[in-house]
Amino acid sequence: MKLRITLASSLFALAAAAVPATAEVSPLDLVQPIADYKIYVSENSEKLVTDTKAFTDAVKAGDLDKAKSLFGSTRMSYEAIEPIAELFSDLDGSIDSRADDHEKAEKDPEFTGFHRIEYGLFAENSTKDLEPFADKLMADVTELNKRITELTLPPEKVVGGAAVLMEEVAATKISGEEDRYSHTDLWDFKANFDGSRKIFDLVRPLIEKDDNAFVAKVSGNFDAVDATLSKYKTADGYQLYDKLTDDDRAVLAAKVNTLAEDLSTLRGKLGLN
Amino acid sequence: MTKVEKGLITTRRGMLLGVGAAGSALAAGLGGAPAAETQGTQVTDAPVSDKTQERQPFYGKHQAGIVTPRPAAGMIASFHVLAQTPAEVERLFRTLSERIAFLMKGGTPPAFDDKLPPADSGLLGPVVPPDNLTMTVSLGSSFFDQRDWLVPHKPVRLSRMKASPNDALDADLCHGDLALQISSNTPDTNIHALRDILKNLPDLMVLRWKQEGSVPVLPPKPDGSHESARNFLGFRDGSANPDAGNAALMDRVVWVSEGSDEPAWSQGGTYQVVRIIRNFVERWDRTPLGEQERIIGRKKATGAPFGGGTTEHDLPDYAKDPEGQVTPLDAHIRMANHRNATSDANLILRRPFNYSNGVSKSGQLEQGLLFICYQADLERGFITVQRQLDGEPLEEYIKPIGGGFFFTPPGPLDETDFVGRTLLEATGHAVTRIKS
Repeated sequence: MKLRITLASSLFALAAAAVPATAEVSPLDLVQPIADYKIYVSENSEKLVTDTKAFTDAVKAGDLDKAKSLFGSTRMSYEAIEPIAELFSDLDGSIDSRADDHEKAEKDPEFTGFHRIEYGLFAENSTKDLEPFADKLMADVTELNKRITELTLPPEKVVGGAAVLMEEVAATKISGEEDRYSHTDLWDFKANFDGSRKIFDLVRPLIEKDDNAFVAKVSGNFDAVDATLSKYKTADGYQLYDKLTDDDRAVLAAKVNTLAEDLSTLRGKLGLN
Repeated sequence: MTKVEKGLITTRRGMLLGVGAAGSALAAGLGGAPAAETQGTQVTDAPVSDKTQERQPFYGKHQAGIVTPRPAAGMIASFHVLAQTPAEVERLFRTLSERIAFLMKGGTPPAFDDKLPPADSGLLGPVVPPDNLTMTVSLGSSFFDQRDWLVPHKPVRLSRMKASPNDALDADLCHGDLALQISSNTPDTNIHALRDILKNLPDLMVLRWKQEGSVPVLPPKPDGSHESARNFLGFRDGSANPDAGNAALMDRVVWVSEGSDEPAWSQGGTYQVVRIIRNFVERWDRTPLGEQERIIGRKKATGAPFGGGTTEHDLPDYAKDPEGQVTPLDAHIRMANHRNATSDANLILRRPFNYSNGVSKSGQLEQGLLFICYQADLERGFITVQRQLDGEPLEEYIKPIGGGFFFTPPGPLDETDFVGRTLLEATGHAVTRIKS
């Protein structure tokens, strides 16, 4: 019957993105990957504290060039563990919100954190009046580190985080609006992709034997992202976002969308709700 | 217009489409209730339509959605294509065709384990109705230019749209490697179709821009006659359109034919022009009726031309009016179509939708015409007509801001075929025709 043929072919078209959850994974299998991820998160949140200290010290010392040069790299350890950091929505708001999250945009007193300091450093080209924001950011990342130490990681949040990172990039980063004053978005991209890949790599052995094609496809797309980003690597980081060509932006967008589609099945493949 | 009777759908063009075995099961699944049921009393009850089972054929010499009567809702979506190699382009074309075949036919998407994202967005319910959907695939100039192996096979007249003097083109609303024209009875059906494509082809296509539009619906007329729909200037648009039901005329005006100098693979295809033309409607509404009519060249209420006509189908006689005493020489319809011995060569088939987006920074309505037209010869068609229109008085009230030129390949002949197959074969890429 024609209808059946059509359905079969549509199933075929979707097969790469979503096959029925088949992997037989017991909750115990996830204990080690989650424990390893906890270490990864802790290392990053500690590095965030260290890097933010150097960054905010430079801001407070009025060293504009140094503060600017540290901005992109300091954010990376936050961006890598964003799915976990975002579990604390109060801190995520004060550390990483953007001007358009606030009614009065840049002038809003609630606008604090990395992007408020970025606005001062890059848009106003000054460290003037940034000291309170620097102190607040330092206090917030210290508090974040403390809370992360005490946190028991929920497995579905960890595994789901691989896709969440891609959704973040797809929805609000591919346009270059995240770091709109400094244009250091490629640092963020790199950290988001690395954070997503870390999760994928940790659970990969659990899926590999049942669904090698999926694992190969996802790895291939992560590799392609790395290859595209590496074209923009410089001695101390990445070129500014406006150097990204339209074609490469389209490549990154397609890879992000594909990874988001594929990684959205990761929880299901591991039997998590 | 359209009647649904005993599983047969009769369109005004006289096209008879059996709902077919699969389809009637489908209709039963949807209740298949006779039309006249009215909406319930709950404010959130769904509006009732008897048109959800209307279905257009996907397979044929030409793609659907070109001479297909224009339904109430339309969309153009433009994509950046990442497929580079012949194998990747084949996967793109095949997957597009598979998805379009399913969506135009309707049916039940596969069910997955509920720990996984569902196969379908579900926004039209668990059984996807066809709802008169057509999806028309077209290729932009850059699709050929950026793939060395396709350059020799580019349609001869396919170019990148250039700005006309009155244009203020926004780069974010222009061009594209591939355009999808999606049209159906409801905007929701178009959106469902677009989301299906995005979900199924994330690695080969990235959405660049889209524009949705609508056509105001009219009640059926007692005498069975038809009227052209109105645009946002309040005028009938399409009165002089060539008759899409006249196959011989369409062969001449719309389809690339055997005798042409275009590549053989493109026969049965057509050139598509898309223009997003903003209308300054507040200013237009503050313009005296007589001036509006002189600018367009027709009476607003009836659509009749000047000089004694009573309906939009009456023809103006420019030969008897060389000075423009009856129809001003710079009236829109006169500049667009001179109606003389040579202007027949410049005919185009228009299939536009009205669009309404939001409010400009100045507080004015952002709305206008999503102009779409088809022609066998892009240069003699749209490009010539637009050149004739350059400088027309209507320009005070309109501003083209986006769009692009595309080539619409011929249709897939049957279930072993897919849109774009003839192009791939022309490049020497071996294609297997198997029933998927």
